[in-house]
Amino acid sequence: MRANFPVRLGPAEDALIAQLKAAGADSTAERITVAGLPTRRVESYHYTDLKTLLRAIPPVANAANEASAPALRIPGAFNLMIANGAIQNAATAPAGVIVGKADGGVLTTRDDVLVHINGALAKEALTLTLENSVDPVIQVERRIEGEAAHVADALKVFVADDASATIVETFSGSDAAHVGNHATYLSVGRNAVVTHITIDLSARAVSHFATNEYQLADGARLRTLVIHAGAGLARTHVFPRMAGAGAHADLTGLNLVADGQHADITMETLHAVPHTSSQPLFKSIVRGRAKAIVQGKLVVARDAQKTDAKFMHQGLMLSDEAEILSKPELEIYADDVVCGHGSTCGMIDEDSLFYLMSRGIPKSEAETMLVRGFIAELFDPIDDEELNEALQTIVDSWLMVGK
Amino acid sequence: MTTPVLEIRNLHARIEEREILKGVNLIIPPGEVHAIMGRNGSGKSTLSYVLAGKEDYEITEGEVLLNGENILEMEPDERAAAGLFLAFQYPIEIPGVATMTFLKAALNAQRKARGEAELSTPDFMRAVKEAGAQLNIDNDMLKRPLNVGFSGGEKKRAEIMQMALLKPSLAVLDETDSGLDIDALQVVSKGVNALRDGQRSMLVITHYQRLLNHIVPDVVHVFSDGRIVESGDKDLALKLEAQGYASYGGEAA
Repeated sequence: MRANFPVRLGPAEDALIAQLKAAGADSTAERITVAGLPTRRVESYHYTDLKTLLRAIPPVANAANEASAPALRIPGAFNLMIANGAIQNAATAPAGVIVGKADGGVLTTRDDVLVHINGALAKEALTLTLENSVDPVIQVERRIEGEAAHVADALKVFVADDASATIVETFSGSDAAHVGNHATYLSVGRNAVVTHITIDLSARAVSHFATNEYQLADGARLRTLVIHAGAGLARTHVFPRMAGAGAHADLTGLNLVADGQHADITMETLHAVPHTSSQPLFKSIVRGRAKAIVQGKLVVARDAQKTDAKFMHQGLMLSDEAEILSKPELEIYADDVVCGHGSTCGMIDEDSLFYLMSRGIPKSEAETMLVRGFIAELFDPIDDEELNEALQTIVDSWLMVGK
Repeated sequence: MTTPVLEIRNLHARIEEREILKGVNLIIPPGEVHAIMGRNGSGKSTLSYVLAGKEDYEITEGEVLLNGENILEMEPDERAAAGLFLAFQYPIEIPGVATMTFLKAALNAQRKARGEAELSTPDFMRAVKEAGAQLNIDNDMLKRPLNVGFSGGEKKRAEIMQMALLKPSLAVLDETDSGLDIDALQVVSKGVNALRDGQRSMLVITHYQRLLNHIVPDVVHVFSDGRIVESGDKDLALKLEAQGYASYGGEAA
């Protein structure tokens, strides 16, 4: 039963409501006025209690007039940038890539506060139409610069039938208490092959929220990789819709968190039609007193027979205070499916460490090798060597800080 | 007198409250191969782990000198750089770490610890190829994650290959024959024998005499209840094979 009295709103909610009203999003403002930000009582926010974690909402961003160094250099990539929500001019696009703008609100409406806020506040969306296979990596840099700001931005990508592409998004900016709310909608055409990587490299003071929605047509193949390696508070939604027979998605992610950080990957995959498959594989590495969360929900529609999906989350704790939380959920309405889930959690294996050291490898180098080995499954399928190398540097520098 | 490669003096070690090594004394001069035989549970494998520096054991008494230097205070990696190599009875599988990457890291770490320059990639590849050829280890195996999905024989061959590459002054072979069929045993033994060069010493731990037909020891020691109770030449191994360990007392494991 729901308590029938108004919730007590905090300063973050008050600021949010004012911003939403100013943007003309009265219904979203009203929802927050009535319900407040979600607490642990809301199932999907049970481990990421926004009311407690999000103490303040900074003012809506002004246009950026300064830019920090690129967060991640991928040699040979085609670069695009959205800074403080505004789409920046880009260099000449590679053949077959059409860059454009559209209204914001790229996500399908669903019962989620972050999705609602993005829809209400993202004024414009960067659009990318890939008419054929694109060789260079497409990198979209999403920045929040200057004083602490609240930014909602949006990206919409269409990949044509039979095309292939690798799209990398990096999130970074100045070291201030920003709140970023980012949306990406990616439509993968028939038999198209797409790799989509989103990497949070924001400063520690930032609260980073992102929602990645995918639509897969017949025979489409998608690989996703979410990396949380920056913000103090991070939550990325992964919402694929397997909408065409033969579609397959490898949904992967990595939480890298240390002292005081909180990172959450929340996946909900809808297998909407028969004969689709997904392989969600997430890993969390936690050092110091910090928290990593992976929620993975597989929904199989009534007609979606022959769905094949297995969710897996593996945690590696590098300290006694580390907290790794795993929530698999299955919601299956079809009767002829193979679905499953699994979770493991442990410390660095002492026997493995001893074996490496007995060959002359010093302890800290041996630990690094084991951590790299733990992650290898996520990075090995990334064929582009320069990109693979760039991803590896993120992990290496994260490990370095801890030494 | 030449400094022994290995000298163990009155070594006592325990795990939690249980004393496992109860006063081991052993001297291995340069170039000699010594075998330690004993029944399961006599403490043979513990001795190998204690030599290599596994953390689980507490040394309560005694000394271990490698080429005259006390190694008991050293970390396992420092012992390796000082010239100790342990061929594991059960080599550990390490997913996600390619065998080749591991070999390079190990070799270069040891060179670095000894103040030598790192090997260039071509020199490294040459050394690996050379070490691998004799043990029927091909490139495919080296690309696979370390020991993952290797058969029992492949794991043992990979251990001996590491030894050939790392060129230790003392190799401890812990039950290297376990899990090997006759053919694999011959390949492994051939690999080990090729590393006998009159300088390098070996400590071969086994409970079957079979291995010692292939790797012929200079001295055989009988291990029982945490210490060496008898030493002799290679014929002692034959006597043990015929009579068993019963006459040495202690309880069967």
